[in-house]
Order: sequence, then C-alpha cells, then structure tokens
Amino acid sequence: MHFGPILSAMRRNKVGAFLIALQMALTLAILCNALFIIRQRVVMMARPSGVDEANTFSLSNQWVGSPEQIGAMIRGDLAALRGMPGVVDAYATNAYPLRGGGWSEGIGLAPNQKHSSAHTARYFTDDHALNALGAHLIAGRNFTADEIRERSERDKAQPGVMIVTKAVGEKLFPDGSALGKTVYVEDQPIVIVGIVDMLKTPWVSNAWAEKFVENSMLDPYIFISKQYSYIVRAQPGQLDAVMQAAQKKLFEVNRNRVIEKVRSYAQIRADAYRNDRALAIILGTVSAALLAVTAFGIVGLTSFWVTQRRRQIGVRRALGATRRAILAYFQTENSIIAGVGALLGMALAVGLNLWMVQALEMQRLDLLYVLCGAVAVMLLGQFAVLWPALRAASTPPALATRAS
Amino acid sequence: MFRYYIWLALRSLRRNPMLTALMVAAIGLGIGASMTTLSLFRAMSGDPIPQKSAQLFTPLIDNWGPDQREKNGEPGQDMLTYTDAVALMNLHAARRQAAMYATGFAVMPTDPTQNPFQADARATGADFFAMFDVPFKYGTPWSAADDEARADVVVLGRKLNDKLFGGANSVGKTVNLDNHDYRVVGVLDDWSPQPRMYDVMDQTFGEVEALFLPFNTAIGRQMDIWGNNNCAGPTVVDPGFEGHMRSECTWVQFWAELNTAEQVQHYRTLLDGYAAEQQHNGRFHWAPLTRLYDVRKWFDVQHVVPDESRVMVVVSFGFLFVCLVNAVGLMLAKFMTRASEIGVRRAIGANRRAVFTQCLVETGVIGLAGGLVGLALTAVGLAGMRALLSKDMADLTHLDLIDVLVTVALAVLAAMLAGLYPTWRATQVQPAWQLKAN
Amino acid sequence: MLKMTHLAKVYRTEVVETYALRDLSLNVREGEFVAVTGPSGSGKTTFLNVAGLLETPTGGQYHLDGEDVSKLGDDARSRIRNEKIGFIFQAFNLIPDLNVFDNIDVPLRYRRMNGAERKKRIGEALERVGLSARARHYPAELSGGQQQRVAIARALAGTPRLLLADEPTGNLDTQMARGVMELLEGIHRDGATIVMVTHDPELAVRAQRNVHIIDGQVVDLTEEPRFHGVHAEARQASA
Repeated sequence: MHFGPILSAMRRNKVGAFLIALQMALTLAILCNALFIIRQRVVMMARPSGVDEANTFSLSNQWVGSPEQIGAMIRGDLAALRGMPGVVDAYATNAYPLRGGGWSEGIGLAPNQKHSSAHTARYFTDDHALNALGAHLIAGRNFTADEIRERSERDKAQPGVMIVTKAVGEKLFPDGSALGKTVYVEDQPIVIVGIVDMLKTPWVSNAWAEKFVENSMLDPYIFISKQYSYIVRAQPGQLDAVMQAAQKKLFEVNRNRVIEKVRSYAQIRADAYRNDRALAIILGTVSAALLAVTAFGIVGLTSFWVTQRRRQIGVRRALGATRRAILAYFQTENSIIAGVGALLGMALAVGLNLWMVQALEMQRLDLLYVLCGAVAVMLLGQFAVLWPALRAASTPPALATRAS
Repeated sequence: MFRYYIWLALRSLRRNPMLTALMVAAIGLGIGASMTTLSLFRAMSGDPIPQKSAQLFTPLIDNWGPDQREKNGEPGQDMLTYTDAVALMNLHAARRQAAMYATGFAVMPTDPTQNPFQADARATGADFFAMFDVPFKYGTPWSAADDEARADVVVLGRKLNDKLFGGANSVGKTVNLDNHDYRVVGVLDDWSPQPRMYDVMDQTFGEVEALFLPFNTAIGRQMDIWGNNNCAGPTVVDPGFEGHMRSECTWVQFWAELNTAEQVQHYRTLLDGYAAEQQHNGRFHWAPLTRLYDVRKWFDVQHVVPDESRVMVVVSFGFLFVCLVNAVGLMLAKFMTRASEIGVRRAIGANRRAVFTQCLVETGVIGLAGGLVGLALTAVGLAGMRALLSKDMADLTHLDLIDVLVTVALAVLAAMLAGLYPTWRATQVQPAWQLKAN
Repeated sequence: MLKMTHLAKVYRTEVVETYALRDLSLNVREGEFVAVTGPSGSGKTTFLNVAGLLETPTGGQYHLDGEDVSKLGDDARSRIRNEKIGFIFQAFNLIPDLNVFDNIDVPLRYRRMNGAERKKRIGEALERVGLSARARHYPAELSGGQQQRVAIARALAGTPRLLLADEPTGNLDTQMARGVMELLEGIHRDGATIVMVTHDPELAVRAQRNVHIIDGQVVDLTEEPRFHGVHAEARQASA
C-alpha cells in the first residue's frame, strides 16, 4: 500500500480527517479515565468485609422511654436470639462493618500521645461477636464471658483487653506481633489479647476513611444505649426465615421497642457501595454511548467520502485496482487518522487525569489503560470503517466510463 | 422567510434520514447524558435559601489547638461544643440565632395496638424557624420563654402530623414521645431545603427531621446525640451526659442571622474576643482561631457536592463535546453534498446571508430534534439515577421546568455552534462553480 | 442592456495566471437574442459567469441595465441576479428535493414576495412552458426536456430583464431540444433579452446575432439582425 495518494487525499480533506482524529482522541481520553475510575470502584466494591455476609443480618433496636436496666434487657434479648432455631450466634454492638456510621478512635503506644499511632473503627462486642460475624482469629484468643463489661456512650474507658485486626497490629507494631502488647485507648492501658484476620470499618466508601479501612478494634463492652444494633448469623440457607423470626421473637420478649433497618449483609453491602456502583454504571453507560457515537460518526463520514470518491474509485478499479486494494486504501486511511488521534488522545487522557487528580482528588491514571485505550480506539476505527470500505470496494469499474 | 427556512430544513432532513438520525442521535445522547448529570449536580450545588444565604452564618471556634487543625491550617472542627454554643447564645449578638443538634424519639401512636415507631428530631432554638424561613401550616414556633423554661412543646413536620393526626390541625394536642407528653404548638408545611443547610455534616441531602423541639428541653432530658460528635484533641471527658456537655467534644450546630456587613464584622470581632477570653482564662493555649461562614461558603468548606457528581459532569460534558465534534463532521458532509443546490440558490439570487440563515436554521432544527431526544433521554437517565442512588440523593433527581428549557436551549445552541463551521463552508460555495462543474 | 468594455478575467494560482477573458467588449441591446459560440475552452462559460454576475471581472467595465456592476459587492450582485437575470443551465440545475412548483418558487422567495403574488407568477410561468399539470412532480419524475422547461419557468417567474442560457439544449435529444428552442424564441418575441452560449451552429443561427469567442476575446459577429430589426452593435475587440 502506498501512503502517498492517501496522504494527499487527506490533505484535500483536512477538516474531515481532523474531525475524525479529534473525535477519536477525545473518545480515547474520556474512555481511559472513565474505565480507570470504573475499575477502581469495581475493585473497591469487590473487597470482602471480613463478615460471613451470606448468612448474617443486622437490625437496629431502639427502646421506648429511658429504661434503667438496658444491660439486662440486652442480655435477655441476646439469650432469646441465640436460642432461636437456625441462629448460629448473635451479639449487640454500636456499629458493624459497612454500616456507614460508627465510632472512630485513636490507639496510642503511650498515654497522652499528641497524635494517635493508629486510627481505627471501634466496635463494642462480646465473646460471641467473632462467631456471629464469622471473623477469623489468627492469633491469641477470644474474649471470655467474664471479661465483658457494660459501658454507655458517655462513660469513660476502663483498663482491660481488646482484639484488633491484623492491619491494626501491623500499623502499631510493624516489626513484631502486637499480641500481648499494651496500648492506650482514651489514655487507658489495654492489652491486645487477640488478632483477627480482617474486619472492615463502617466507612468503606469514603476518602477520609480509606486510609484505615481495615483498622478495626473490638472492645469487650455491652453498649448501654437507647439505640444500638444486633448482629445475627443464621445457619446456611436460613437467613430469610431467621430475619423474620428474630423480629417476632424480640417483640415477644419486650414490646416496648422500635425495630428499624433490618438488613441482610447483601443489603448492607448494596447500601454501602450504592454511590460507587451508581458512578460505575453511569460512567459505563456513557462510555458505551461514546463508543457508539464515535463508531457511527466514522461510519457516517467515511460513507460520505466513499460516495464523494465513487467515480475516482471506479477509475482506480478500471485501471486494475483489486477489491482488496480499495479496502486496504480506506483501512490504511483510517489507521493513519486513528494513529494521529490515538497519539493526541493519549496526551489528552493523561492531561485530563492530571486535572482530575488536582481538582477532584482522583488517583493517577495507570499508563497501561492509556495504551490499551489507544489500541481499542484504533480497532474501533477499523471496525467502523469496514462497512463503508466494503461498499467502496464493490464499486463497479464500469462507473469510470459512465457519465456522472 | 423564517418559516420558509424551517420548511426547507425539514425537507432536507427528511431527504437523508440516516445522516439526520445520526446527527440527532449524537446530539440527543450528548445532551441526555450531560443534562442527567448536570441536573443532579445542579440540585446538589443549589442554594436552598437564596434570599438569605448571604445573611446566615455558622461560627467555628478552634477549641482543640494547632495539633488538630487541617493541613491548610483551618480549624479541624465543623461544630461547636455545648459550652461555646451556650456562650454564643448568651452574647445575643445576632438578630436571630439558634444552637441545635440532631436527636430522635420513639413515638407512641395514639392507637395502643400499633407498635411505637422511630422519629428523628431536631433540638433547636425558637429563632430557627424564622431564620430559615420555615413555612408553617398550623400554629407557630415555640417562644424563647418556652425554650428557656424547657417546656415540653414540639413542632411537627407535615408528614408526622399526617401520620398521627391525619393531617388535621393538631395545635394544642399532645403527642407521646418516649413516654413523655409534648404539646404541639405548630405544624410545618412542606419544607425540604436541599442541601439541608443547617446540618450538612450529619446528613447532606434528604428529608428534614420529623419533628422539632426546644434545644433546652432536649438538653434537660439528656437526649441522645444522633448526629456527629467529635472528641478530638487532648480532652478529658467526664462520665455521663453532663460530663459530655462540659467536654471539648463538638456536637452542636450554631447559626446566626446577620443582615449587614457591619453586623458580620461586629460578630467576627465578638467571636475573636470570646476565643481570646478563653485563652486568657487558660482554657485555650493558643491564639484565637475562629471562622464565620455564610451558607454558600459553608457548603464549599463542607464539600457538599461529592466528587463523584463532579466526575460525572466532567465525563458527560466531555461526551457531549465528542458528540458535537461528531455532529460537525456529519453536518459538513451533509452541507457539502448540497453544494450544487447552494450554488444554484446563489446563482438565482440568494446572498451569503440567505445561505447562512438557511443552513443555520437547519442546524437549529437538528438541535431542536436532538434536544427533544435529549430531554427524553434525560428523563430516562434520571429514572436510572433514581434506581441507582440512595434515597436521599434520588429525591434530587427530578426535572423541573428550568431543566427542560435549559436542555432544549443547550441542544439548539450546541447544534448551531457545531453547525457554524459547516455553515460557513456552505456560504463559501461560489455560485459560478456549479455551472462549470456540469 | 448589457455593455462590456475591455473586460478581463484572470484566474491566478500560486504558479500560473490563466486568462479566461482578455479585453472582451460586447454590447447587447434590449430585446436582442444573441448567441455566443466558440470552441471548447475559449472562455464562453467564463463570459456567461461574468455576464450573470456569478463572477467578478478582474479588469474592464460591465454595465447592466445602465448600472456599473463590475465592482459591486456580493449582496448587491445577489440582488441583481435575483431581480434582473434569469438563468437556464445546461444541466437544468433544479433542486432535486423540491417539486416543480417549489423550484420555481425559489427566486421569488429571495425576493420576499407575498404568497399570493408568488402563486400567481408560478402559475403563469408554468402555463408559459406548458407544464401546469406537473406542478407537484419532482424533477426526477420529469424528462430532460420537461426539466429544462421547468428551469426556464423558474427563470421566467422573476420576469428578468436578461435571460442567460448556457447550452440549454446540450443535455437534450433533438426533438426535446427543438421544443426548448421554440420556447426561447417565443420568450424573445415577447420582448426578453436573451444571451445564449452554445457550440451548436444550428442553434446559433436561430439567434438574431452571433458572437464568437476565441481565447477570451470576441472575434466575430453577425452584423445583421435577423428578427424584428432591432439594431445590435458590438465592437471588435482590439487585441
């Protein structure tokens, strides 16, 4: 294939060629960034929470009035829940992974530290919590029943024990195991007695919390509050039944309460990542539309060129050009334009990303995306040009001898 | 003549339905995507109280010290401590002022067979309603004296009044909240400021609280804090609610209405004076750092429009731009195939302006068609958004008359802009050429 | 009616200058029927373009209907084309999207005539060319001769002072050509000034006067008017 005639034809149709190149460049720039963001969100959404999500649900419990014996009432509820058929275990807490709101707390290596050594999510739990969550203890031990104490939101912390996630341990003690070490929470000494593999914080879709998304600490406290949550783990396959039965059971124990937000973990996960999912889907839809518009734009413009050059193509055919040669002509032409567009688009993609990094706290674009995007856009061009090029190739040579 | 051009445009568009469909689809898709994301962005970045947003201010006082400040040196807190809120109230330095926090109740229904249900509430000052132009359906706000006396009075939101009293005038009736009787003094009309300007930290968008009660009544009952509560810094928190009230934890929102620049200046001075006094008393070990933000500035500081929304707007407008580049190419092709017709028209006596107008009207008609397609796609897009977004944000995704007008106007404008170069090229067609070509 | 004095038209590109017309002088009286002949490439079409105000001359003067039109701007030339000149093209140049009625309507639209007046004129023009029954037909549905008659109707509808025809029968077979030619002669008899470019000597002799163009100059002319005795005068160009 000779580039000479193609280039000179393009020179005569500068604007058209430029428009296609520009369109491909912009498509590439937007596509790379959109796909990059989509992938980030998809990866984020796929992260495990550390909870046995398939079999676990939560509900929010609010007592009516200001009962005096909340601790005893919680214990009664828990005994009832744990005794239900199909229930593996249950516990009461202030917050749970992926909940969306919770209590964040700093852990220090010494009392009265200016800045905490590790930022964590704080969960009030008991000796049943690990089992109810399905969390894996990788070192140390669980709480014992006699370690569990009562604590209201406004109480002071007491010296004691706690369980942390592996991430917290590594943050506090990068050089060795955190197990058995004494750390300080609210300036009280606390011994780390157990380490769990992983448990996410309540905030999983939040730039502020992203830095400590796996830092969770478990305190052996019954949360004395008018409002708190129960986490219940059901036997496999019994989640729906247990979700219904648990509410009934709790009202049987005490009618003087409000139960809200009964959510399976599937629902909790959907709520937690709702906006990420929305962003990914919207960007995906726009990307698909973008590809379609660009492809059809190329089809439309190339068809127009083919129509314009029909006679010229007929002459070429008459002079001995094969169908393949005509096809190759348009494909090469599109490759040249797409190549220019891809180069320009790669620069634009990086530029757009740099701007978004600065203005919107996005992450840096992986250059692999830019390269893949460039290849994709060039393939798109080839694909789009195929139909008009085939039409061009089928131009009869006899056209040359006919008057226009 | 304009009607003639419209008529010509429609004929021309009918003649080449594929090309027309491509152009209309490109513009429609671009406009649809842009308007979908833009209408959400507009709703999020809207001013819920435009008549007063420059006169309502929220003060901040740095009570945690330099260690807890943001990287740019701004205060780390976005609310006040109870102590500071009460102190500012006692200054009486603003025309209207209110301290407030989010809390909630279990509501006992009048029908004893029904289960109690949850209602979120806002504990706030009597000035709150006048300050934020809150519309009342029945009754009035409580008085400052009620607030002072910790009276058991409430103002119900319209929905809760509908639920409890079937929408009737309930002023003077009592409601049972967490086993206490409260007297209804007022019922709100529909009120849904977006963002919820008075407390964007706790919940930026969505419904306002189901009911309102005096700040001091809630404090007296030691009602739980349902909103954010930040206890940073080297703070000593004594046990219990009273300990919390004395602590350096911030959990109280505060708003003041200041009508003139002098009042604002005066208030700033008072704020600094108060912080200096705290330093003098030994409570603060640092030079005063205070802030006073009006509504719009506060939204900026609080970043109420999520970056996701901005990304969507950027990407969809990029897409619109691609669609327009696409339309430029297609229009160019379309007008150039008509070069001979234009040549004939020129020969017969059309001047350049006539050709220009004819082509521009045609692009305008394409734009209009694209706008209508775009409008339909925007409606579809917003329905999709509603399905995808959380309920708070989903409520923002509606199309108002302005959106509709903006959509169509933007489409026509965009199409004409895209058509400008092809139109210019069309006017450059020489009348003589086409005579020779044949 | 039409007076060209020392008219020149030069096409310049980066490398060459091509004289399409050089020092052409011609005078056409009101009511004359002039045939312009000449070999291919002699400048006939350029002459017609300049005469029809489609192109501006690069030198010399051109008076149309007593008005110096050689230096007019685009808008003024468009207006004169619209009001004073009717065009009949070899390839008819009808607008394919528009039916016969709407094609004839085009020049009237640019004259901003009211609807009733336009309708009346179109009706008259169609009647003149004998195509009243075809008003709603599209060009593609008509024969070449019919298309050319529509083109003539379009030219006539504006009641131009000057009718310019470029090989009006060039794309037609003999029989159709004769019909078109008879139509032109009739129009001329009704008082119109016609300038027709053709390379067909048979056609040329039917005009009152013949003008021959070679190399962009008028080199030949028939002195004797054959019809009506209207006196025509044209000066030999000085080379």
